[in-house]
Amino acid sequence: MDRPSWAPDDIDLDKPTAARAYDYLLGGAHNFAADREMIRAAMSFMPDLALQAQANRAFLRRAVQYLVDVGVRQFLDIGSGIPTRGNVHEIAQRAAPDARVVYVDIDPVAVSHGRHFLAGNPHTYVLQEDVRNPTDIVKHPDVTDLLDFERPIGLLMVALLHVVPDADDPYGIVAHLRDELSPGSHIVIGHGTHDSRPEEVAKLTAISRQTPTAMSTRTREDVVRFFDGFELVDPGVVWAPLWRPDSPEDVPEDPGRSGNYVGVGRLG
Amino acid sequence: MSGPAGAAAFAHAWADRVAGTSYVSMTRAESRIFLGALTGRLAAVLAAEEFDAVAVHQVGTDFFDAGYTAPEALGRTVALVHERLLRDLGRTDPDGRLGRLIDVLASSCARAQLDQTLDAQENMRRAALVARIRAERALHESEARSLHAALHDPLTGLPNRTLFARHVAEAFDADDRIGVCFVGLDRFKAINDSLGHGVGNAVLTAVAQRLRAVGEQLFVARLGGDEFAVHVPRTTCVDDVLKVADRVLATVAAPILVDGRELTVTASAGVVERPTSGTDAGDVLRAADISLHWAKADGRDRPAAFDPDRNAADVARYELAAAMPGALARDEFYPVYQPLVDLNSRRLVGVEALARWRHPVHGRLPAGSFIGLAEDSGLIVPLGLRLMELSCRQAKRWNGPLVSVNLAVRQIRRPGLVAEVAALLDRVELPPELLQLEITESAVLEPDDETVGTLRALDNLGIRLVIDDFGTGYANLAYLADLPVRGLKVAAAFLRGQGFDSRRAAVLEAMISTGRALGLTVTAEGIETPEQARTLRRMGCHLGQGWYLGRPTDPSSIRLG
Ligand SMILES: C[S@@+](CC[C@H](N)C(=O)[O-])C[C@H]1O[C@@H](n2cnc3c(N)ncnc32)[C@H](O)[C@@H]1O
Repeated sequence: MDRPSWAPDDIDLDKPTAARAYDYLLGGAHNFAADREMIRAAMSFMPDLALQAQANRAFLRRAVQYLVDVGVRQFLDIGSGIPTRGNVHEIAQRAAPDARVVYVDIDPVAVSHGRHFLAGNPHTYVLQEDVRNPTDIVKHPDVTDLLDFERPIGLLMVALLHVVPDADDPYGIVAHLRDELSPGSHIVIGHGTHDSRPEEVAKLTAISRQTPTAMSTRTREDVVRFFDGFELVDPGVVWAPLWRPDSPEDVPEDPGRSGNYVGVGRLG
Repeated sequence: MSGPAGAAAFAHAWADRVAGTSYVSMTRAESRIFLGALTGRLAAVLAAEEFDAVAVHQVGTDFFDAGYTAPEALGRTVALVHERLLRDLGRTDPDGRLGRLIDVLASSCARAQLDQTLDAQENMRRAALVARIRAERALHESEARSLHAALHDPLTGLPNRTLFARHVAEAFDADDRIGVCFVGLDRFKAINDSLGHGVGNAVLTAVAQRLRAVGEQLFVARLGGDEFAVHVPRTTCVDDVLKVADRVLATVAAPILVDGRELTVTASAGVVERPTSGTDAGDVLRAADISLHWAKADGRDRPAAFDPDRNAADVARYELAAAMPGALARDEFYPVYQPLVDLNSRRLVGVEALARWRHPVHGRLPAGSFIGLAEDSGLIVPLGLRLMELSCRQAKRWNGPLVSVNLAVRQIRRPGLVAEVAALLDRVELPPELLQLEITESAVLEPDDETVGTLRALDNLGIRLVIDDFGTGYANLAYLADLPVRGLKVAAAFLRGQGFDSRRAAVLEAMISTGRALGLTVTAEGIETPEQARTLRRMGCHLGQGWYLGRPTDPSSIRLG
């Protein structure tokens, strides 16, 4: 990591970022006017956007709970966003107080806030890094201090891969990370798609270009390919609300409106 | 429905009503339990003797803190409380407590929201500030790092060539004399090749460490490969740098321990020391480089100081070498001929063709000034062939004395030589017995099959082969018996006047008798006096050559018969 991934001038609070906009969608206050303005513009043609963000976050919670239930005690959460409520370490450490979590995000403000927020938690670490440099993530001394790659790890890439365009080889990145994991590890993916709401998603994608991490959504088939080398856990790659819902009431009439394919894969 | 069942129904409805207003990290079942507990606390407030505003406030705060942060969550809660809390709990509201409860609940939620928003905003601004400082520091460090990387050698950490050149240029401005020493490890490539790059790198690192320790005031750099450089400040004369060079060579030569193995590496040094006026950094570095080259050429493991005369000679040689291909194309090379005389009858039996260069600027150059260059560059092959052709044509014209032509080692090693010579004889229509080829002893010191094959083939063509400079190569005499040679040439020069040395004369005599015993014609070269001619004749030498017997001349001056 020779070059800092963000130049000081890139930290511009007048331009929206995905992490802060997502926080706003979830009802948080860790955002600035530019973020809220962008979301309001998006909600003008996608009024249920906040619900879909919540559905995504709820999937993340269920997936982490699932991993804890099957015995995973280490988590690498890439594209973790701004820690507010329902963070991975909170879910995991409630069940297993010694669970270790490394958060990775490209957004320097999100990371800086995360470090402050997690200052008293010795089992967590926040790294500012780009998922496109997977080696710099898995070989980072502070990461390897906390996570033992010889033991199962829950690799979370939720609402992340749809901001990595094909040109940046997202499949290669995932394969690279997969090769670092040991058997019993899991990958958790949530990924935006244009399959169900093509026009709205096209507009959303256009709006996302205001942020440093523009979206490139994929089809279901493309999302499934991210699980190459993993065994898909039931029910496979599905709309976010359909992945092991806590109760039938949580499943909306048309789950495809989530525009979000999710799945969990296990490394055999 | 009232009591606990009613409370549960309210909580159930509450959870459904606020679901989706903002993200709450609970399952729906968990949220019902959570809101059920809050409902219980509200029920207790309604049932108590006195209205407990603090308890209600706490409920509002807890509700908000659980993640029900959206204004809609509060609005829907207020509506629901209003609508059915009393009913679900089976209570009446004699003292209008519900209104107060709703007021406190709403204001506590609003306060929590305001507080949390302000906190969050403050945290985010601080986070942005910290991120900016961090990014600035990272940028600064990476700039410093890349600047450092651009100017240092990654293996040893020493300054690199660029930084050394910069440093020397600065010294030029600061001092009125400049002293530089280039250091090259001797035969370092052999270490790399035989022991591997890992060991090679360990040696370089060790050497770098030792050079650093030679003197604090010295500026040490790695120029690349196995070359290092030292700038010696405040020098007064070349000795100041030579002293440093001696220390450098001594410290390098101490055994180096690598992987439990002791290695000994020597080094050579090129030294320059001069006033800064009238020269520049580039000149000085070039001079140091040239001197290092000399130290290696002079036998390594030593320093060599820059010497302008030697450099001028080098430059002249270089210029000469560069001019040779063009000269060959313009046919500026030609042979002159020196008589080979029978020492008994004093009759001319042949001539040796010797190369000359009609140089457009320097005039006529002797073979000694350019044959070595041609051998180094490989030009000797076409040049040798051209001289052979000219000599053969001359021999054909004379059709009398044989012409002896030198054959360079490179020519012998070249496949196709035999065919070329055969074609030449054909073309010129020269009887092969009029051509003699002289091969230096070193070419046949340890003759391989190919060389022997070539010599046989030449012999089969009918050409005489003789060995030149016999006795200089410490050859095993046994080879003589197996090679198709018909003569030997020995050097007589040391028999000259005061240089007479009876032991070497004895060796010469032995060589001559060896040749004779093998039935070979023995020729002595370099005869300059009548005494030498006489001595050699008495020793049994057949033929003689040298100034006393005839200088190299144009073909027209050769007296035949
Ligand atoms: C929508 S948030 C997702 C947060 C969390 N994973 C979740 O699903 O609730 C996406 C996050 O990915 C981060 N991100 C975008 N591109 C990234 C990249 N190339 N490397 C690492 N993080 C990235 C953004 O900064 C943002 O915080």
